[in-house]
Amino acid sequence: MKAKIVALAACAALLILLPYVLPFTHLNMVIEIAFFSLFAVSYNMLFGYGGLLSFGHAAYFGIGAYTVAILAKHYAGLPLPLTLLFGGIASGLGGVLAGAFCVRLKGGYFALLTMAFNQFFFAIALKSRSLTGGDDGMSLKRPDLYLPGLGAVAMNNILHVYYLVMFVVILCISVQWYLSKTPFGNSVRAVKENDERAGFIGYNTYLTKVALYASCSFFAGIAGSLFAFFQQFVATSSIDAAMSMQAVFMTFIGGVGSFFGPILGAGVYLYFTDWVSRITDRWEFVLGVLFVLLVMYARTGLMGFADIDRIKRALSIRKEGNR
Amino acid sequence: MPYSFDIYVIQAIHGVVYGMLLFLVASGLTLVFGMMGVLNFAHAGFYMLGAYFAYSVIAWSGSFWLSLLVAPLCAGICGAAAERFLLRQVHRFGHAYELLLTFGLFLAIGEIVKWFWGNSPLPVSVPESLSGSLTILGATYPYYRLFILCCGVAVLMIVAVLIMKTRIGIIVRGAVSDAEMVGALGTNVPLVFTGVFAIGAALAGLGGAIAGPFLGTSPGMGFDILTDAFVVIVIGGFGSLFGALAASLMIGVLQSYGVLMLPRFALVFQFVLMALVLIVRPQGLFGEKE
Repeated sequence: MKAKIVALAACAALLILLPYVLPFTHLNMVIEIAFFSLFAVSYNMLFGYGGLLSFGHAAYFGIGAYTVAILAKHYAGLPLPLTLLFGGIASGLGGVLAGAFCVRLKGGYFALLTMAFNQFFFAIALKSRSLTGGDDGMSLKRPDLYLPGLGAVAMNNILHVYYLVMFVVILCISVQWYLSKTPFGNSVRAVKENDERAGFIGYNTYLTKVALYASCSFFAGIAGSLFAFFQQFVATSSIDAAMSMQAVFMTFIGGVGSFFGPILGAGVYLYFTDWVSRITDRWEFVLGVLFVLLVMYARTGLMGFADIDRIKRALSIRKEGNR
Repeated sequence: MPYSFDIYVIQAIHGVVYGMLLFLVASGLTLVFGMMGVLNFAHAGFYMLGAYFAYSVIAWSGSFWLSLLVAPLCAGICGAAAERFLLRQVHRFGHAYELLLTFGLFLAIGEIVKWFWGNSPLPVSVPESLSGSLTILGATYPYYRLFILCCGVAVLMIVAVLIMKTRIGIIVRGAVSDAEMVGALGTNVPLVFTGVFAIGAALAGLGGAIAGPFLGTSPGMGFDILTDAFVVIVIGGFGSLFGALAASLMIGVLQSYGVLMLPRFALVFQFVLMALVLIVRPQGLFGEKE
């Protein structure tokens, strides 16, 4: 217990001091890693914990991003925390709407339907030119944060942006960590293991899945809100299929089903694509092949390598096999 | 309405033509899904490969008809290899991983295509023998689109006869409903799987080769048709060939009238239709209840 507190304190100190050690360009990258971590963690809650393989998670990331952009443009007076929160709420509502249909299906059927809903929201974003700017996207100005007693915190300062994004991301990830430990989290796991049996015991499997889908959409929406807030620009690339795949990639690289895996995955993915895209134009090919290899040989992702017990077990099984 | 009756007829034919093209792609997808339970993202990759192989064959030999033969063959071989060496390895880990594998494959194929043929759309001209046009109700209609229609019908006939009337068809249908039992009766089921996957890929390749002169050959073509094909098999019912036909025609006609009447919402129609079908019949129009 004591070791845990020390570790947490060390992490907190590291995150607070980080901007003073890192060069400017890396700070941008760290901010990006932060909100994509949140996106990937929310995806992992859906797929890793709930067993719902979604191919349309970007829909909620995008709804959050567009909501923030539209609010910042037309209701500039709205307090910043509310603006970000509304991004999440809009996504959560979208999640309830789509989830009510999607979770009635299973496995590949479910994946398809989430993808179709993603395309549906994408088409809306692309076609409502007057609201979203269509192909051209829309830019926004970062609203300042008004803190009671402290006054305005200027958000043109990247340092302030860093602290705000970190605060929101850590808050949201902690809430999801907590959720996974509640009775709700347990019922999600029961439904994943065997939803027929869970239904017989008396769980409302349908409602559990809708609630899970909506909550994951909400957190993806918050991630999207932060994305819009940080980039100061939102285009259809934030809501397209490639963005959905990004969530899948990050989660897989880090490790499906392990809570902190996706955070590691987001970091590795962003640094890796940045590095590969600098040495070759063909980075999508590298990514595709890497993904095929990952699915074939390393289904537990990077966290799987960190799981020493599992490796030991695998080795001892192999030894017994040799005898 | 300012439109005359003729336009409605022409739009209807347009819709049927696109629907038939869609059917060519969706039929392979639904076959593979019905039999192996694999939602094959790589299908769009094979479609793309078909179109690009056809382009190269035409550039090399000048014969459109040869490309119609070679492109599906090559796509089919790629499909067989993908099933045998990649997909089969992850089969035991469940559908989610199979799906993800085909997705990785789709990405890789998309990049390979860009690698060999470049990023920009390639011009594929309509063959001379099909470049004329027909006059229907005072409007001219290109032969090539009617040719697409004929191809769709021919493929439908061949696949339907193959599945309904031949011994291979009986084995495939058997394997769809209970692969283990068919295996116990002495059939080499993995080989049948590879064969069906290869045929699915070949159908996608044929679709791509035919679509080239009609929709254009570009690196984005795969994903464009993939979403439509997925919507088709959801509406038609997973694994149902006739469901795929009905749904393809519905989507084709809906889109072509949709573009005419409400152009702003042209991208959304098929999803609205899909949502409606799923509310009324979650298993799709021709799908069987689980």
